[in-house]
Amino acid sequence: MKIDSIRRAIRFAGFVLPLTWVPGSMAGQMRAAQAQSFGVGVTTATVNQQAPSAVLPAGGTMAQDQASNVAIADMVTAQDAFAIVAADGTDASDAVSSATLEQVSILNGLITADGIVAMASSTVDGAGANSNAEGSSLANLVVNGVAVSDPAPNTRMDLPGVGYVVFNEQIPTGDGVTSSGMTVNMIHVVLQQLGLFGYETTGEIIVGSASSGVN
Amino acid sequence: MSNPRLLAGLTATAAIALVVGSCEANRNALAPKVGGPRFHFGAFECIPFKMTGGGRIDFPPGTADKNPPASHTCETFGAHVITSGQTDANGTCLADKGELEWIDHRPEMQINGHPLNLHATAVTFAEVATDTDCRDGAAHWGGKLRVQNTGQEDLDFEVWDCDNGEPGAGHDGFAISVPEIGYEVKCPDPSLPPAEPTCTLTGGNRQFHPTHL
Repeated sequence: MKIDSIRRAIRFAGFVLPLTWVPGSMAGQMRAAQAQSFGVGVTTATVNQQAPSAVLPAGGTMAQDQASNVAIADMVTAQDAFAIVAADGTDASDAVSSATLEQVSILNGLITADGIVAMASSTVDGAGANSNAEGSSLANLVVNGVAVSDPAPNTRMDLPGVGYVVFNEQIPTGDGVTSSGMTVNMIHVVLQQLGLFGYETTGEIIVGSASSGVN
Repeated sequence: MSNPRLLAGLTATAAIALVVGSCEANRNALAPKVGGPRFHFGAFECIPFKMTGGGRIDFPPGTADKNPPASHTCETFGAHVITSGQTDANGTCLADKGELEWIDHRPEMQINGHPLNLHATAVTFAEVATDTDCRDGAAHWGGKLRVQNTGQEDLDFEVWDCDNGEPGAGHDGFAISVPEIGYEVKCPDPSLPPAEPTCTLTGGNRQFHPTHL
């Protein structure tokens, strides 16, 4: 009697469990698009602020934010900053984000630029998933009084006494088959101080950030 | 035995005739007019679709190449439109909804020291263009907008929107016109890819979806 019950339970489990199993590849087919952008972001021990900032709402198609003047913690000033994100929130096959700014000054003029465009776009279809930062640019970039012309992606420069800066920082994500993403930070200043164990990061300033992703 | 064979033969012949006929009809509909511009957003259909995304144009000249960064001569935008393919009594293809945010960064286009910023307040019409060479789909849509710099309201606008494959940069196209203020970013050169009057994107992507859901 007891053995029969166990056999029945095993048969039942053998029949029902396969019906409840969802393969990982199917779960991976739940498609989603992400997009966000911001003009200026400052993170230190005392400041954590982004402005203007746009984030794609779940299932949404577009969001935007703008500010005529941006000034954060006496560290960054900028004018006419726009953050725009656009995607198909239901089909989730594409996402585009952009951040644009004019007359940017960082750390009291240590870094200046007349115009910044950060742009990221991602698409996915039967042929694969792709992202890029095409359309991003820095106009009349000057670092410590020296003009820097059209820096290549992920160009790093030391800023003595401050830390370092990465221009046109591009961070790709995804497998390129079913998922892909791109974050581009046109100016990324990493603030550092000399501590007991060498240089320690104390904060960061990001100006012109755009992210997009699909999966 | 011969009847089923005869029926099968007749059915196959009819099916082939139908396919050939429909292909012929489509080819005629899409064929460019002799002596006229090849791709000019001149023929439209009211069918369900949506167009999503955003991008950058470097106008002028509006080609696939970016202008020198120092010039800061470019336009950036986000835009989408959705229609279920309905028409009004006048035969206008109605849009269900849409948005447009447009920024012209050209120094000479500044108003009171700020870049020209156009913001759609209503998207009223949307139609699929059937005579372009935009590979994945093309649309013509528009409505009313506001000039954010001046507060001018209820200005008619129209855009020409082209999805010509991936990536969007170097392939897709976009153009806009706001006649009441004499503003337009159009590239009316038939030799420019992918289709006049759109200007080729130098960044971003336009995505045509053959559904409004």
